[in-house]
Amino acid sequence: MNYTFQFAAVLEELPYLLGGAVVTLQIAFASFWGGAVIGLFGALAKVYGGVVARRIAAGYVTLLTNTPALVQIFLLYYALPDAGILLEPMTAVLIGLVLNAGAYLTEILRAGVLSVRRSEIEAAATLGMSQLQIVRYVMLPHIAKTIYAPLSNFFVWLVLGSSLAALFGVEELTGRAINISTANLRSIETFTIVAAIYIVLTVIASASLALVGRWAFRVKAKVF
Amino acid sequence: MHHLEIRNISSSYGKLEVLRDVTLSADKGEVVSLIGPSGSGKSTLLRVLIGLTPPTGGNVYIGGNKVDYNSRKSLKDLRGHMAIVFQQYNLFQNMNVLRNVTIAPVKIKKKPREEAEVRARGLLQKVGMEEKADAYPDELSGGQQQRVAIARALATSPEILLLDEVTSALDPERVKEVLDTIRSLTHEGITLIIVSHEMAFVREVSTRVAMMDQGKIVEVGPPEQIFRSPVESRTRDFVSKILSH
Repeated sequence: MNYTFQFAAVLEELPYLLGGAVVTLQIAFASFWGGAVIGLFGALAKVYGGVVARRIAAGYVTLLTNTPALVQIFLLYYALPDAGILLEPMTAVLIGLVLNAGAYLTEILRAGVLSVRRSEIEAAATLGMSQLQIVRYVMLPHIAKTIYAPLSNFFVWLVLGSSLAALFGVEELTGRAINISTANLRSIETFTIVAAIYIVLTVIASASLALVGRWAFRVKAKVF
Repeated sequence: MHHLEIRNISSSYGKLEVLRDVTLSADKGEVVSLIGPSGSGKSTLLRVLIGLTPPTGGNVYIGGNKVDYNSRKSLKDLRGHMAIVFQQYNLFQNMNVLRNVTIAPVKIKKKPREEAEVRARGLLQKVGMEEKADAYPDELSGGQQQRVAIARALATSPEILLLDEVTSALDPERVKEVLDTIRSLTHEGITLIIVSHEMAFVREVSTRVAMMDQGKIVEVGPPEQIFRSPVESRTRDFVSKILSH
């Protein structure tokens, strides 16, 4: 192999790539939290809801977890304009990922909701807590503790999965890597460095999630 | 009118009638104990009173006001006057002892945190748990958890406190510490409704004892009557079996 690696050309663009990494994290955070809100209601509907609520939640989860996120975003981006709804690429990606994450998080959170002891809910009710207070102070901490590990994994998946935004021209980490490599023709170097940045991102994310878990939920999570 | 009036309360799980036409009252500061075999409806009566199990008939009055178990507002109001301690303690596992005791005053009664904490520490001292204020429930023994649960219930300043077999899940050695705690409550003007199999204790602290069987109250009277000269044969039967242990 007589290929000469030339990282210098790529390293010049490091600030630009790191800027893309920030966008990647923003997409991951936004889809995670947006999805978590949908997921919480989805999980509550699946566990405690009536027939209609359960059916709607189940249909949503089945539909969204059995089609690729990429296809879902394609539909939002290319099919909705026919119905008169034009979305910016970033908006389409965010809506798609939020809906997709919401479906997966519904299932993850459902396991958490099932872990809440009925007796604690009753105790909270007899102390005079409202339904909302019971969810906030009694159920959520239990749910968070139970689903901590799958949730961390899912967040990492979102950080990596957000790279599909590049296909729609969103300039996050992968998108910017494509921009650079088409200009400098140093694809191997560019994507090696991008891979390294992704590793750093996910390691930092996992470690900080583990720290938050230890501090907030007394979970004995491994930091490394 | 009595402070707590239970009039013709019934409750069913499906077709099974768990409570049948139960009528009972308690004056302020009274200690009324419910005894009877397992499945006689004692715990269900407490669950109905605090609004965890819906009654299918009858009414409950507190201080002359009728409780509407179908109204959230009425339930919230009720739970400002009444608290319950469960057999399995049911502490919030994700909160330390102090937070278990302060959560209701702070979040529901909107008391300032410092004030609630000072009061909570006082209550924890009363139940002998002030040194464990920062511990989590899973670090405590059953008896300790139960004493915290009593402090948590007292933190809402209840006029009526329901105690549902609070020593049944405890080691014999731990029973005494919890009973001592309850004994200290009997002269504070709180109306206590106690479900218990600790007959000696029931006999000692109760102002009146109600014998239940098959969802009905068979006999109500002062402890001397129930334990020494019961009127009903079912009571005599039950008491003699229990006391001959």
